[in-house]
Amino acid sequence: MNKDKKVLLAPLDPVHDIGLKIMNRALKENGYETILLPPDYQPEEILKSALDNEVGAVLISRTLGYGVAELLSKFIDQAEAVGLREKVKIAIGGMGIRVELAQELGYDAGFGPGTVPEQVIAFIEDREPVLDLSGAIKSKKDITQGFDYKYANKRIEELLDQIAEKTLAWAADKTTSAIQRAELRRQMLDLPEGAEKEEARKQYVQLSDEKIRNFYENGTMPPYTRPLAPQEMADLEKYVETTKAQMRMKKLQKTDKNPTVFIQYGTGCPFMDIAHAKVGESWGADGVVHFDPSWNARAEGFLEGVLTHEQDGTIITWENLKKIKESLEPSTLWQVRAHRGLNTPETVLMAGKAGADMTKINVAYGSLGGGTDPARLTVDAIQCMKYAKEFDMPFDVVTNEELCGVPAAKAFAGMLTTAHIAIKMGCRPVLQPLFVYSPEVMITGEMEDNYVDFNAGKIMALRSIINAPIWPGAPIGFLTQTEDRVQSSLSTAMHGALASSLGVEAISIASSDEAYSGGPIAGPSRIDTLTALKESFRFFGSASIKPTEQADVIAEKIVNGIIDTLEKALEYETFPVALYAGVYGSTAEGAYPGRGGKGSVVTK
Amino acid sequence: MIMETCLKKVMDAVDIETFFVCKDEEEGRELALALLEKFGLKDTDIVFIEHSGPGARVRARGYLYRAGDQYAWLEGEN
Repeated sequence: MNKDKKVLLAPLDPVHDIGLKIMNRALKENGYETILLPPDYQPEEILKSALDNEVGAVLISRTLGYGVAELLSKFIDQAEAVGLREKVKIAIGGMGIRVELAQELGYDAGFGPGTVPEQVIAFIEDREPVLDLSGAIKSKKDITQGFDYKYANKRIEELLDQIAEKTLAWAADKTTSAIQRAELRRQMLDLPEGAEKEEARKQYVQLSDEKIRNFYENGTMPPYTRPLAPQEMADLEKYVETTKAQMRMKKLQKTDKNPTVFIQYGTGCPFMDIAHAKVGESWGADGVVHFDPSWNARAEGFLEGVLTHEQDGTIITWENLKKIKESLEPSTLWQVRAHRGLNTPETVLMAGKAGADMTKINVAYGSLGGGTDPARLTVDAIQCMKYAKEFDMPFDVVTNEELCGVPAAKAFAGMLTTAHIAIKMGCRPVLQPLFVYSPEVMITGEMEDNYVDFNAGKIMALRSIINAPIWPGAPIGFLTQTEDRVQSSLSTAMHGALASSLGVEAISIASSDEAYSGGPIAGPSRIDTLTALKESFRFFGSASIKPTEQADVIAEKIVNGIIDTLEKALEYETFPVALYAGVYGSTAEGAYPGRGGKGSVVTK
Repeated sequence: MIMETCLKKVMDAVDIETFFVCKDEEEGRELALALLEKFGLKDTDIVFIEHSGPGARVRARGYLYRAGDQYAWLEGEN
């Protein structure tokens, strides 16, 4: 149809005509002459207007309800009876309208919720719509940008400086088998096939645990693990290629203030992880975090190959990481965790070489709640930071020891100590306070009235100390969520809205079945929370959530607790010694210095 | 389209959410698991159930695949 004919817009509805008014404006802006009838016209009146004005198209709107389908169908019959049907295009739009329904009722097109004017104009003009997908074109965000790591709290800076200096000096002449393996892995990845590479591999195997040696020397797979077959690999490549070609990514953020959103994957199978990551990307996740199994972290040495695993956590191998990275969209931030266990330097090295955007380096949590010896993890973490700097990867520092029962102030002191060591080394750490219903507050009752104040107090405390990026997690709302899909999605959305209101840089979110322990997370459950979060961003926009005055009290208490913890830590020789002594969380508080790798730190 | 064809295209699990008119949670659980079985799902569980008043709101799940399985939707790509 060309523009010399008018378009008739008629609500075949007693009340609703908003959609038509929006379309009317768009048509006018596009040079069409239109006739917009008011609501509550009879079909005969609409048809008469169409005939009298010799229109080229009729756009009907109607909210569906009981008996409405018959009414709409009858309208088409009437249009045919008066000779209009074959002359003009007739479309129906409104809530509840679907393309299939419109066709069934005899309309040329149907426009449901979410229709954009271009789709209607394209229909009138007999062409394919040119949709503006700019909202879905995403770019990779550096969440550390704009932060100078300057301290507003000079007392805390002074304490951290002294602890970090002592610790770095102590670690300067120390090494571990993990650090040696990481360098051997670098050679195994960089060297061409040949004797030198074989020698590196041989040395690597010698520095590994027996079960890892068995894998390399005898091909023995750990339990519940198998290599993926060549046909499966070929199928995966095709799947990724096809999926990438049809990717349309939603954007969760309504305003620039809304945080970058990460989801976590670790089904056990890199293929299922890829499938989940693609679902997450499509529904708006900005980043994905690799979860590995704890046995994988606790062994000395990594396996090789594209390996699947029947239990939680996806095995870290160079090949698994590469496959996952290759499947991701260019805008997706990819984080590989190296926050606990006996392979952290190698993890960061491989993550960096595989193209990861971020990693996760930690000492206090990995030592007190993650089962790794504090001295071992400290020496390894410093090497991790060197690699993070080499590959220009920011990393977050978690405070998950809070989940063991360690008070937030002590956990924050541990996080800040690790972060300060990193800052001194020229790295870009991201602070990761928990945004959860932690055991500490279950006991103190500080979340009895609401979930806002304690979380807000944490962010306010950190903001008052240092100008650093903050990424609450992980996931936000943990321990507030149940297996109920609606409750868990809403809880995630509310915590996300609060995090956004507090101006944090990023968040990690759960799926709506994260609290279910009977089986793996299912793909659709990831969509639930992403959708809920998007709606919360839409709901609040630039508006804020106002904590009560209690948040200020909590913030002050946390800051004082951090100072108190750091002053005590300074009495000890180094950071790990203070960790052993329970300064950053005692056994009474549920923090147990790990034994993994105990006694394995050696002088170079 | 036959059920088998549809199930082959499920990424990992089917969740069925409904409300059973039943006397208690146990009856709701039995009904949900029986329903999943009728759909041909074998690896089943109740993700969430809450009984109140007239019956139970249920989120029941049947896994088509767990990690490490061979996924039919992947095979279908070639």
